[in-house]
Amino acid sequence: MSRRSGSALRGAILMAVSAALLLVWILPVLLSVLTSFKDEKEVLAYPPTVVFEATLKNYVAVLAGPSSIVPNLTSSLIIALATTILSIVIAVPAAYAIARLRLPGRQPLGFYVLATQLVPPIGLIIPYFLILNGIGWMDSYKGLVLIYITFSLPFAIWLMVSYFEDIPREMEEAALLDRASRWQAFWYVVLPQARGAIAVTVIFVFLNAWNEFLFAVILGGATVKPVTVAMYNYINTEQTQWAQLCAAALIAMLPVIVLGIVAQKHIVKGLTAGAVKGSGRR
Amino acid sequence: MTSRGEVRLEGVGKSFGETRVLRDVDLDIRPGEFFSLLGPSGSGKTTTLRIIAGLETATEGYVHLDGTDATLLPPGDRDVAMVFQSYALYPHMSVEENIAFPLKMIKTPAAEIGPAVREAAARVRIEHLLARKPGQLSGGQQQRCALARAIVRKPALFLLDEPLSNLDAKLRVETRIELKRLQRSLDVTAVYVTHDQEEAMSLSDRMAIFMDGRIVQIGTPEEVFSRPASVQVAGFLGNPPMNLLDARLSGGTASVGGVSLPLPRYAALGEREVTIGIRASEVRLADRGMSATVTLCELLGEEMIIDLDVGGAMLRAKFPARARLAEGSDVHLDVDPDKLHVFDRATGMRLDP
Repeated sequence: MSRRSGSALRGAILMAVSAALLLVWILPVLLSVLTSFKDEKEVLAYPPTVVFEATLKNYVAVLAGPSSIVPNLTSSLIIALATTILSIVIAVPAAYAIARLRLPGRQPLGFYVLATQLVPPIGLIIPYFLILNGIGWMDSYKGLVLIYITFSLPFAIWLMVSYFEDIPREMEEAALLDRASRWQAFWYVVLPQARGAIAVTVIFVFLNAWNEFLFAVILGGATVKPVTVAMYNYINTEQTQWAQLCAAALIAMLPVIVLGIVAQKHIVKGLTAGAVKGSGRR
Repeated sequence: MTSRGEVRLEGVGKSFGETRVLRDVDLDIRPGEFFSLLGPSGSGKTTTLRIIAGLETATEGYVHLDGTDATLLPPGDRDVAMVFQSYALYPHMSVEENIAFPLKMIKTPAAEIGPAVREAAARVRIEHLLARKPGQLSGGQQQRCALARAIVRKPALFLLDEPLSNLDAKLRVETRIELKRLQRSLDVTAVYVTHDQEEAMSLSDRMAIFMDGRIVQIGTPEEVFSRPASVQVAGFLGNPPMNLLDARLSGGTASVGGVSLPLPRYAALGEREVTIGIRASEVRLADRGMSATVTLCELLGEEMIIDLDVGGAMLRAKFPARARLAEGSDVHLDVDPDKLHVFDRATGMRLDP
């Protein structure tokens, strides 16, 4: 077999495998899309219908009906944005310090950060409940954001430390010799190179906060009810409103998709910047 | 001649925890001088440069720059510029932004930055590359960009940490010449770290040889080459390195293996164990004299390096290629006694008649 036809075959196999994987991933989403345009009665038809009369009434009900999810979307957005912004603002300098300074206890700190990710969240619900209840922060934005940060912050730090470690120290030393202050060296030289890392971290933290259900359903309430919890209302003892649930889920996905597309550009930029950087150093 | 850029190190030492990497370094670098710190890797030369730059703080001794105590001065307050071995270009900035960076940091008016950047770029001939990112430059161009960034601010002192080591051999020689020309035309003091003796020899006005964290000799390239202060220096400099043979000095004659070398000038040293140093280029073929056997020939174009067996000791000699020696042949050698170097075997220090 010639090299060319070999690589063509390889390409075809890769394509087939990717397509199969994509299918597995996209099937539930496609199913949701179909269901969201169906009438509730049509949803339960057996065998399932593929050709049907599409309706927008589920979307209208979900957005403008008596149990509209719009306030919940706002809730989710406030929580996710606050969590993301606070996490990044604290994690960037923290990760930089861990990566650069000869701090005593660096090693145990790194382990602690990782250890927080190993604790099953369900085990923390009761302590968190007691703490928030004790300080009167139940069913409040600050309470939920605080809880989310305890998870996202260590993760964000851990993710970014390795990026900062990859930026050669010499680059900052060059900046210091070029008369930059420590802060200017960080701001002009280090931070722009960490853009990719920050974009990746933003996505992960935002996604986690946006998708979170367990803590929100227990520690939230009437005031703070993110969209994940609101969607749960479509499932009750009498019936499950599948079509509205799917419509709500698809609407809830939108901000994440938009964020992914926006941040992707930065991630790719960050990755390629790293790729060419290597040729000039080491 | 410039009066800026004088460096004086006084008893400088540096320890990292328990490890002492530098001790008793005394240096006096004059304004406008091209001064090299030469030594094998791990000898402390880069640490010395970093102490001059302020990137490391000396744990002992003092650093004076232009007459003022700079021992504890932060790097930005020292009026020095440095070219790193890795160049340390900022990958997210264009060449133009890289070169402009030091000017921006000292709040140069925007109107002056453009012309200054173009002038610096023109000096190292990269003015056509200003819009590119460092990742789009070749190694040589990156190196020039780093040079331009260093000279744009017109610093008093120019520090170079093995700036040529990432270039290929041909480019290295070309850039070397340019570097010297640049330093002369800018009339700036340059401190240059290298492990390449040829670079140090060809560039420096003076140089310091580092071994095991201390300076073992300071002098002009000529002085250091022709009068190495110790066996260590003698064995480090020259290509091939100087032949070092154990000998016994007695009454003005040194016996090396079974061969006697007349050294009448050293008669006053009496009887002692010494090491005799002979440069490969000082060994000549003769009709009579020391007899030796050729064990290996390496042809290097115009010259050849010959390994010789002299009474059991190995000697390397450099002959013109036309000498046409065959491996295994017997030859006679002659060495001018005045061109020999004699070192004390116990201390390794140079002995003078």
